[in-house]
Amino acid sequence: MSMSDDLKSIEAQVAEGVAAAESMEALEALRVSVLGKKGQLTAIMRSMGKLSPEERPAMGKLANTVRANVEAALKARKETLSAELMERKMAADACDVTLPGRRLTPGTQHLISQIREEIEDIFCGLGYTVEDGPYVETTWYNFTALNAPEDHPSRSAKDTFYVVDNAPGSVAHAEENHVQGESDILLRTQTSGVQVHVMENKKPPIYMICPGTVFRPDTADANHLPQFTQVEGLVVDEGITFGDFKGTMDYFLREVFGKDRATRYRPHFFPFTEPSCEVDVSCGVCHGEGCRFCKGTGWLEILGAGMVDPNVFQYCGIDPEKYTGFAFGIGVERVAALRYDLPDLRMLMTGDMRFLSQF
Amino acid sequence: MRISYEWLKSMVDVPDDPHELVEQLTRTGTEVEAVEKVGANLEHVVTAQVVSKVPHPNSDHMWLCQVSVGDKNVDAEGNPVPLQIVCGAQNFNEGDHIVCAMIGAVLPGDFKIKKSKLRGIESCGMNCSERELGLGSNHDGIMILPPDAPVGMDFTEYLGTSDTVIDCEITPNRPDCLSMTGFATEVAAILDEDTHVELPSVATESGPNAADLVDVAIEDPELCSRYTARVVRNVKIGPSPEWLARRVAAAGGRSINNVVDVTNYVMYLTGQPLHAFDLGALSERDGKRHIVVRAAHEGEKLTTLDGQERVLTPDMCVITDDGATPVALAGVMGGLDSEITEGTTDVLLESANFSAGHTSRTSRNLDLMSEASIRYERHVDGTNCANVAEIAAALFEQCCGAEVCPGIVDVYPGEADDAPTVIQLRTARVRSLAGAPITNSFIASRLGRLGCEVRRNDVEHYEVVAPSNRPDLTREVDLIEEVVRLWGEGDIAPTIPAARNHAGGLTLEQRRTRKVGACLRSCGLSETSTYCFAAPDDLARLGIPETGRGVPVKIIRPLVAEQSEMRRDLLPGLLRSVAYNLDHGVANVALYEIGRVFFGHAHRSQPDEPSYVCGVMAGKRADDAWNQRYAEYDFYDAKGVVEELLDALRVTKVRFKVADPEQYPWLQPGRAAEVFASGGELVGWVGNVHPRALKAMDVDVPVVAFELSMATLLRLAHNELPYQDVPTLPGVDVDLAIVVDESVTCETLMQRITSAGGKLLSDVRLFDVYRDPVRVGEGKKSMAFSLTYRAADRTLTSEEVEKAHAKLVTKVCKSTGGEVRG
Repeated sequence: MSMSDDLKSIEAQVAEGVAAAESMEALEALRVSVLGKKGQLTAIMRSMGKLSPEERPAMGKLANTVRANVEAALKARKETLSAELMERKMAADACDVTLPGRRLTPGTQHLISQIREEIEDIFCGLGYTVEDGPYVETTWYNFTALNAPEDHPSRSAKDTFYVVDNAPGSVAHAEENHVQGESDILLRTQTSGVQVHVMENKKPPIYMICPGTVFRPDTADANHLPQFTQVEGLVVDEGITFGDFKGTMDYFLREVFGKDRATRYRPHFFPFTEPSCEVDVSCGVCHGEGCRFCKGTGWLEILGAGMVDPNVFQYCGIDPEKYTGFAFGIGVERVAALRYDLPDLRMLMTGDMRFLSQF
Repeated sequence: MRISYEWLKSMVDVPDDPHELVEQLTRTGTEVEAVEKVGANLEHVVTAQVVSKVPHPNSDHMWLCQVSVGDKNVDAEGNPVPLQIVCGAQNFNEGDHIVCAMIGAVLPGDFKIKKSKLRGIESCGMNCSERELGLGSNHDGIMILPPDAPVGMDFTEYLGTSDTVIDCEITPNRPDCLSMTGFATEVAAILDEDTHVELPSVATESGPNAADLVDVAIEDPELCSRYTARVVRNVKIGPSPEWLARRVAAAGGRSINNVVDVTNYVMYLTGQPLHAFDLGALSERDGKRHIVVRAAHEGEKLTTLDGQERVLTPDMCVITDDGATPVALAGVMGGLDSEITEGTTDVLLESANFSAGHTSRTSRNLDLMSEASIRYERHVDGTNCANVAEIAAALFEQCCGAEVCPGIVDVYPGEADDAPTVIQLRTARVRSLAGAPITNSFIASRLGRLGCEVRRNDVEHYEVVAPSNRPDLTREVDLIEEVVRLWGEGDIAPTIPAARNHAGGLTLEQRRTRKVGACLRSCGLSETSTYCFAAPDDLARLGIPETGRGVPVKIIRPLVAEQSEMRRDLLPGLLRSVAYNLDHGVANVALYEIGRVFFGHAHRSQPDEPSYVCGVMAGKRADDAWNQRYAEYDFYDAKGVVEELLDALRVTKVRFKVADPEQYPWLQPGRAAEVFASGGELVGWVGNVHPRALKAMDVDVPVVAFELSMATLLRLAHNELPYQDVPTLPGVDVDLAIVVDESVTCETLMQRITSAGGKLLSDVRLFDVYRDPVRVGEGKKSMAFSLTYRAADRTLTSEEVEKAHAKLVTKVCKSTGGEVRG
């Protein structure tokens, strides 16, 4: 047989062998038998030198073509086989995707702080600062400077936790007459005192909220806690109107409760503000039709607010002719209870992991 | 305040449907708590007729009656059947028209009518007295209706007096609305209507002058700014006329007798509390009674109308009989000894004005609230005392057959203080505060409706005289509030302030505080909230020393003993939460709280309130899963959390030192560390809670915990640390297992390795600690480290690494007494 016949025979043999090769091993063996050191094609290539110079170019060309074809066939088959192999591997590797994933079980933030932070973020977006002050306050900051007269019912020991004053008469603006069970020192019943501290220390414009823990002597039950959370806000600036207050509340309440909620402003009385009002949002369950959730009114009472009383400005050294402002207070537990229809507020204080992990 | 719609209607034109008014009240600031139909609760009460009446066979005073209720009781064919009723009343005869409460009726006082047996005989209803129907005080017998009364008609329908009561919450600034006249004025202003109030006056005065029978002295005008006394004689004590009883009942009172009802009625009408003394019960001197209003003496006693003996203090005001015996607690409640009784003939009527502050404190100190004290503590119109006395005297005349003595004794030391306030009102200010186009004419007309006298100085400046029953109107802003609420807060267009020259946002500390929480949550701890209150023995139970925690802040009137102080540590509260979870079958607990503690000062009023972050971990991070196993939390879990937290805050030079059991007796010795940072600043502690402390808190599983000072954490935190080049050249890793005495700490070994490694040692990582008495030796441990050698500027050769490592091993062994484990 001539060399060219040999070459063609190798090519045909490889084509046959490649098609028959069912594994990478078989394919490799085929490759070695043709292209390996002792392979048939390698041997032919080596014997090329024995050809005459006339034969050599044509034969060389043919040999190279055969080698290229052989290599291409091997490669193509290899790719096919390896793709098949991968398919088989993956098929074997298939898993039950409904089995639970590997969790990192991070902890959760307390529902009340989530809402508190949410409110903080809304007001920070409006350019407010977030302030805080002492929990153990004086009657001056908790009541007097907020224009609550000395005999205001909220000052009674029924509505306020008074604490033992270890240095009676020593705080600024100490009072003279104390009803039994009262003193100059108390657990703040509202965070409004913070507003007084801020107004004393900062010149307007003031745009602030003061979220924080407050205390009232209500025995803990499904709807009351002796310790709860309030966010109060205060704006003092030139030219602030009741309309500014309404616009701010409308924005805030819709951010918290949803864009589709309506608001209602009912005049009310608070010593700290005048004019004052209570603000309701439309019931999210019945959308104002009246249901069990809103006790048939279609509205949910959500915050107390109003224009800062000029007396308060005077107590804090701010000119009430030049500046006006508004203030508001909202109970965070109330928001939580409304949002989740919580059956019992006491769950907020037990640390029950089953409760906490839901939020 | 309970507003009878029928009564209100007599004073001002209101819509027929009370709910329309309710909407308007809500819109303008009077909160309506309830709308009740009066009479609606008299279901199953019908007009009836006594068909027969025979003596009860087993009783000498009861009767067995057949009572026809028309078609309200029928047999199977629909024919009316009389009811058999046993009745103890004596004032009726066969054929009388009466009122019958059938089975199922619920009479006032939640008195349910059921089928019953009286002395063995079945009774299917009750014949009712006026008092049982809530119509009056008469209980001498059953109510007899006129002979032409229909039989079998719903009694409410028969009375034709169905009324609606609107129960309003009156805010403390509006004492005027605690009266029907004041409320009518408010309604008139809301509806822009006129009021038409007719008040009675005395027809005939007779007998001696009041001034000849009574004199009045006020010792302290601060306690009592006005005291008027009228005298009426020969009253006939008896049940009130039906209209009077009905109005008193509608207003929430209880009909007692005609004299007492008149005083209450007039109080509801005018807001002026009145008190009727039995003149005969007051002692007489020189032919006169002497009323002396004075401060109570310390420890003085008075038995009030409710039968309670009250011990008084000098802050309280009393009405005394000639200065000696207190006969009434001024502004709060009368005394039992001078109350109106059935035997009363002559009455001294007090219409006075007592100090709001003293009344409020008295009421709070004695825990005694009354319709009078509620009004006095909100301020009563001092100018009106005498007018009100006139109304009451006229009604005594009409309803009690009284002879009214001429004149009134009127001591009025506070008259000057009651002079009307004149307020300057700028109408432009109304608009600028409201942010609404409220017209001048609206302002003037509505203030007028509220009873203000409005004088126009010029177009923009009004002079307003507030009515004397509106103590809340003293300043311009008070008038603005009135105008705004009548205009409608809901009608003001919302805007958002421009907030020029103001910037907000969270402070660095606030942002870092949030980061603390976020980091702890990522470590698997959930945030909780516990009470700031503590039990007095909380620290002692856990064995936490008081040193450095000041004195406790004590609550004067705690709700419960376990919450009578403010906490001085967060751990007790969190351990309570652990116990709560265990009690409820939750074994895996990981909680943290960022909260304040309260360190009081022995000689200062307010405590320090530092914040701490405290974490507790019990059980394991999660229950084992098909592809995950978890170990029970141990010391190193808590420590790991602390390390993550300090890393997140970029706190540097962190060190953990063995906590001295003497200083940390609430932690398990040997498993507790103090946390230091930034070169020796104590941040807090981490460790296993002492089993004894756990037992004291009813926790029966191991708990690891930590508590760190927020102030220190926030102060030592960094926003950024210097950047370090990421290595570009490969390092060479070499493992080193070294056997040392147990006493050699990991920290020591790491330090020795680091310092012995020189510049080429770039990283040291402990990957195993191994103990084995045979292979490692008793009292020894093998610690295996992975060391990485690397140079920043070249690839190290193996010779270089070998040389450096050999040097390191020699040095470390020498300085720690250790040996390389083969």
